[in-house]
Amino acid sequence: MVELVWLIPMLPLLGFLILLITGHLLGEPRAGWVATAFAGASFIATLIVLVGLLGKDSHAGGRSYEFVLFEWLPAGSLKVEAGFLLDPLSITMALFVTGVGALIHLYSIGYMHGDEKYSKFFLYLNLFLFSMLMLVFGNNLVVTFLGWEGVGACSYFLISFWHRRESAATAGKKAFVTNRVGDWGFMIATFAIWSALGTVTYTEIANSPAMSAATGTAVSLLLFVAAAGKSAQLPLYVWLPDAMEGPTPVSAMVHAATMVTSGVYLLVRMNNVLTDDALLVIAVIGATTALFAALCAVAQHDIKRVLAYSTVSQLGYMFLAIGSGAYVAAIFHVITHAFFKALLFLGSGSVIHGMHDEQDMRKMGALRIAMPITGATFIIGWLAIAGVPPFAGFWSKDEILLAAWEQKNIGPLLWVVGLVTALLTAYYMSRQVILVFFGDQRWDDDVHPHESSWTMTTPLCVLAVAAAAGGAINLPLVKDWLVLEHFLEPIFHHPHHFSSGTATKIALAVISVAAGLIGISIAVLSWMKRRIPTDRLEPEFLENAMYVDSSYARVVGGPGTTGFQKTADFDRRIVDGGVNGLARAVMKLGQLIQPTQSGYMRNYAVGVALGALAILVVLAWGLL
Amino acid sequence: MATQSVLAFVGPSVNWWALLPQMILLGAALLIMLVSALAPKQTSTPFVTVTTMCAAITSYIVATGLWNDVQRDGPSSSIASAFGIDGFSIFFTMLILVALAATALLSHGYLDKEGIDAPEFHALLLCSAAGAIVMASANDLVVMFIGLEALSIGLYVMIAMHDRRQEARESAIKYFVLGAFSSAFLLYGIALTYGATGSTNLIHIRDYLGAVVFRDQHLLMAAMALLLVGLSFKVAAAPFHFWAPDVYQGAPSPVTGWMASVAKAAGFAALLRIFFAAFASHRIDWTPIVSVLAAVTLVVGAVMAILQNDVKRMLAFSSVSHAGYVLIAVQAATDQGTAAALFYLFTYTFMVLGTFAVVGAMGRDDDHPLANYAGLGRSRPVLAIGFTILLLAQAGIPTTSGFVAKFQVIAAAVNNKNYVLAGLAMITAVVGAFMYLRIVMAMYVDNEEQKSSVPSWHWSTKVVVIAMVGFTLLAGLVPQFLIEFAEDAVPILIRG
Amino acid sequence: MVAQNIFFGILAAIVAISALRMVTTRNIVHAALYLVAVLAGLGALYVLLTAEFVATTQVLVYIGAVMVLFLFGIMLTKAPLGNVMEMTGRQWPLAAVVAALLGGVTIYSLVDRFGSERLNTDGPIYRTADVSDEVFSTYIVPFEAVSVLLLAALIGAIVLARKD
Repeated sequence: MVELVWLIPMLPLLGFLILLITGHLLGEPRAGWVATAFAGASFIATLIVLVGLLGKDSHAGGRSYEFVLFEWLPAGSLKVEAGFLLDPLSITMALFVTGVGALIHLYSIGYMHGDEKYSKFFLYLNLFLFSMLMLVFGNNLVVTFLGWEGVGACSYFLISFWHRRESAATAGKKAFVTNRVGDWGFMIATFAIWSALGTVTYTEIANSPAMSAATGTAVSLLLFVAAAGKSAQLPLYVWLPDAMEGPTPVSAMVHAATMVTSGVYLLVRMNNVLTDDALLVIAVIGATTALFAALCAVAQHDIKRVLAYSTVSQLGYMFLAIGSGAYVAAIFHVITHAFFKALLFLGSGSVIHGMHDEQDMRKMGALRIAMPITGATFIIGWLAIAGVPPFAGFWSKDEILLAAWEQKNIGPLLWVVGLVTALLTAYYMSRQVILVFFGDQRWDDDVHPHESSWTMTTPLCVLAVAAAAGGAINLPLVKDWLVLEHFLEPIFHHPHHFSSGTATKIALAVISVAAGLIGISIAVLSWMKRRIPTDRLEPEFLENAMYVDSSYARVVGGPGTTGFQKTADFDRRIVDGGVNGLARAVMKLGQLIQPTQSGYMRNYAVGVALGALAILVVLAWGLL
Repeated sequence: MATQSVLAFVGPSVNWWALLPQMILLGAALLIMLVSALAPKQTSTPFVTVTTMCAAITSYIVATGLWNDVQRDGPSSSIASAFGIDGFSIFFTMLILVALAATALLSHGYLDKEGIDAPEFHALLLCSAAGAIVMASANDLVVMFIGLEALSIGLYVMIAMHDRRQEARESAIKYFVLGAFSSAFLLYGIALTYGATGSTNLIHIRDYLGAVVFRDQHLLMAAMALLLVGLSFKVAAAPFHFWAPDVYQGAPSPVTGWMASVAKAAGFAALLRIFFAAFASHRIDWTPIVSVLAAVTLVVGAVMAILQNDVKRMLAFSSVSHAGYVLIAVQAATDQGTAAALFYLFTYTFMVLGTFAVVGAMGRDDDHPLANYAGLGRSRPVLAIGFTILLLAQAGIPTTSGFVAKFQVIAAAVNNKNYVLAGLAMITAVVGAFMYLRIVMAMYVDNEEQKSSVPSWHWSTKVVVIAMVGFTLLAGLVPQFLIEFAEDAVPILIRG
Repeated sequence: MVAQNIFFGILAAIVAISALRMVTTRNIVHAALYLVAVLAGLGALYVLLTAEFVATTQVLVYIGAVMVLFLFGIMLTKAPLGNVMEMTGRQWPLAAVVAALLGGVTIYSLVDRFGSERLNTDGPIYRTADVSDEVFSTYIVPFEAVSVLLLAALIGAIVLARKD
């Protein structure tokens, strides 16, 4: 059954082609159903292939299959094939990409209702799914690059899908420019690997002897530049918060669950070329990003921007895991994050939909009554991301924090950063849940929030189950329960093993749960309290809360707020400015040489003559 | 003595078969002129187009036969070794014929629309094509020069023929004067080469340079420098590119497409023949300066393109930067590099012809502000998708031939350990991509007022665009056949 | 040899004086005619050097074609035909410097390369017939290819010149 692997990417491609030709005839809602059917079929194909793969012997590399379609780019000694690599890592990625993808397709049927470019939206979604699967299944760096560019292109199209909004067009452009920097890293890394190892095929790279330390580190860092562009790490993350201009299902699928994790996938795939020096850099940047983005999230009012910064922060966790050598933990978190973040985004979409395109959390409140299903599922997503056991997020986050703790050089420091981030995450997510679903109604009377249709709530329920129980795929309680770890193990050059004793593990887990609970408590005490000041049922408790609230307000309201504001400003001025500045530098260079293009023939002739003179002098006197 | 030599004179043997492609084109040109002179009423645009198309197709079939001969029997040269019958020359012959057919089709709709005389235009086009083929197959510098001039004179007049437009005249004059200026450099270079090596025949030059060690190579170096200048002008490499934006902008769009594809391809054919093949033994001397040219061209092309607001000027600078990529392949001075250059030029021909087909169909050929393209995605969705693919191909996005071409070129540079140039090529690809994206974005931004101004498109334009897009995708997905084609074309300069 | 030296002296003097007059005369038609004298003198010098073919070409191309073109150009444009005071542009000193430099470089390189070498008058002399042998054997392709060039030029000239 493993031979069917080609079906997995081809089904969405087929859907794309059908929609391309007949999209405008199908109209709403048939176009959406066609796209959803192909995405779902792709998921089923993935399940079939998975069953086939599990039936194979897991020893001696028995679960790695390469299917070469044809030789794509023969360039001298280098032969690049168009082929698929089926192994535990790619099937794991494919499983949640198609699964979550199919659910989001279904959700979009209701969400995009009434949009004038309805069928075009699903066309892009199917094309995106195809590109993403090419990225995952490619058997060499160049095919992955093809998917890499493909998801990028779909991402720009989808961000600027509502391009009549000026901000949407700008956001699309920003995503394009930032991503090109990452692509540049990818290209150079590819060529560097080829010139060092003579191959770009994953299986051959995995069996190649190690590169020299300097080359290895350079290649690793270039790969990280590529990953940082796609997966929104410092300093290339700037495009992701702006990408929220796209429709919400896009935010859920492209900018939370799938595409942004492709950087993580790339690094895990290339795990045997990553050097220790590079890993340290990756860990530090990952941890910094996690903390930085969490700080940013605290100061946001837009329901989607909170989630966007939260995504950046969670991606930072994943890179922290990679930097600590815990690749399984990274992939584990990729999966659980896909579940709960897709859930949260879709939930926020449902809220936005129900509130008639209102995104400001200050104008929401008490929505749990009007939107019970959305509220309940959103709360499950919140518990998962906040790291409350036994929800999925707890298990993966706990593993990452443990890995950070055991990091050789600066382990405890990384752990502390991770812990603070966990606390902040719990805090800002609780704040969001309280502002949106609890407290007073803060919307105008002419707004009538309502629960969304079944096509939208079904994916929410499915994802809620996954977000609640997703941790089950890799439970550390019993060794045999580490299903994901055992499944992925064969692809790693140096399998990572935790060295801490059980007592340490439990202590760390307790501390991280405590951090999460503290974060939630702060949020509850401050935000709930602020909204119900006249509640006299629990005066004692209230008084206490007042105390916490005021001290909290002293920290957060005084220097704290300034600090958050500063962080947000830093984001806007310096980092954004950096990207714009680069563009401006290119423009300046252009303006410098622009006057040579005067339009006067005599000036052109002088240019030719001077150029000729220069070449003549250089060649005749052998200056070069 | 004199009488004796007259009696003893034996002309060189002529391989007529090998000359057939050019002869067919010239015959068609004469036929068109003759018919239009004798029966001016009957010489309608369709007749002329059909004649040119037939000539191109017949010629292509002959070239295919020649290709098979060469692949079976090996390359040779003919007529006192002045003409190369090798894979290289036939490769370029085919490229030029494809461009000829596409340009003939494109001009079909264009000439009627703009009121230009079809017979003369097509006669000049055919002469220009014959000149380009002569230039690409010449094993002799004098032949090469004459081919270049025939190519150029046809171009000058084709640009100027649009007599109601002042810009066309202006750009023709600019191109003519600067072209003559650069031809003088080329001619001087040929003279100095003769002085340094005693021959204008490239095979003799190669053998001579391979056998002789110069004590003083100033003369040879000066010759190389001047040849390089003359040909750099033709391929629009910086700093000899100044004419390109003005001329591209002023010229009628089908002619711009012809100029961008064929003049560049023929120029690079000559450059490769002279430098890669004939000056092979002195590659240490010329590769550094070509690398510098490549670097300057890449940067100027990419950076200047961003600043433009006129689509034709943008595309002119993009053509400059494409010249930079081909120069990277040239400076590698290896078989791999040359094959990469051939691949690049072949795929580029398709991209640029399709691109200018779209540009030419965008209303009156006066100016092409970016705003004119707003809303094209809505009013002409299929062609807008085609244009998008062609632009993305020029930007080098995977699954298009442009990606494979850039990949091959950079791979050649990496193989040659020229990492700086490879890195620079990647950076400029990133910068340049922004310009193409601007055009694509403009097409898909709705603008209500602009919708009505998009004219209906002639069927010939659609045929050309679809064919060019199809090939661009085909060569991007399964480039194997074209890569082998380019590799088989590389052995050149064999004594016949 | 003596006769040749005498003729060389006479021809050189004619060429030099004509060239000087050409750039100093105030009448544009006279300037063109002085140029004819310069070119004809050069043609005669080629004959002295036994380069009969080059001499013929010089007369045909420069005097026959280029000069006629010049005179037509003067006739068809609105250039004043009589004596004009401001015939010489303001930038003439610059032109003089460039000309002097070019002359200097040419003289230097010729003297440096050939010095006191003498023309070998005893060796074989290349006649027009020998040139024609070369043209119809080694250079047959360029010779034929020129016809393409001329055809293109001819069509182009007609297209651009006619008004209909």
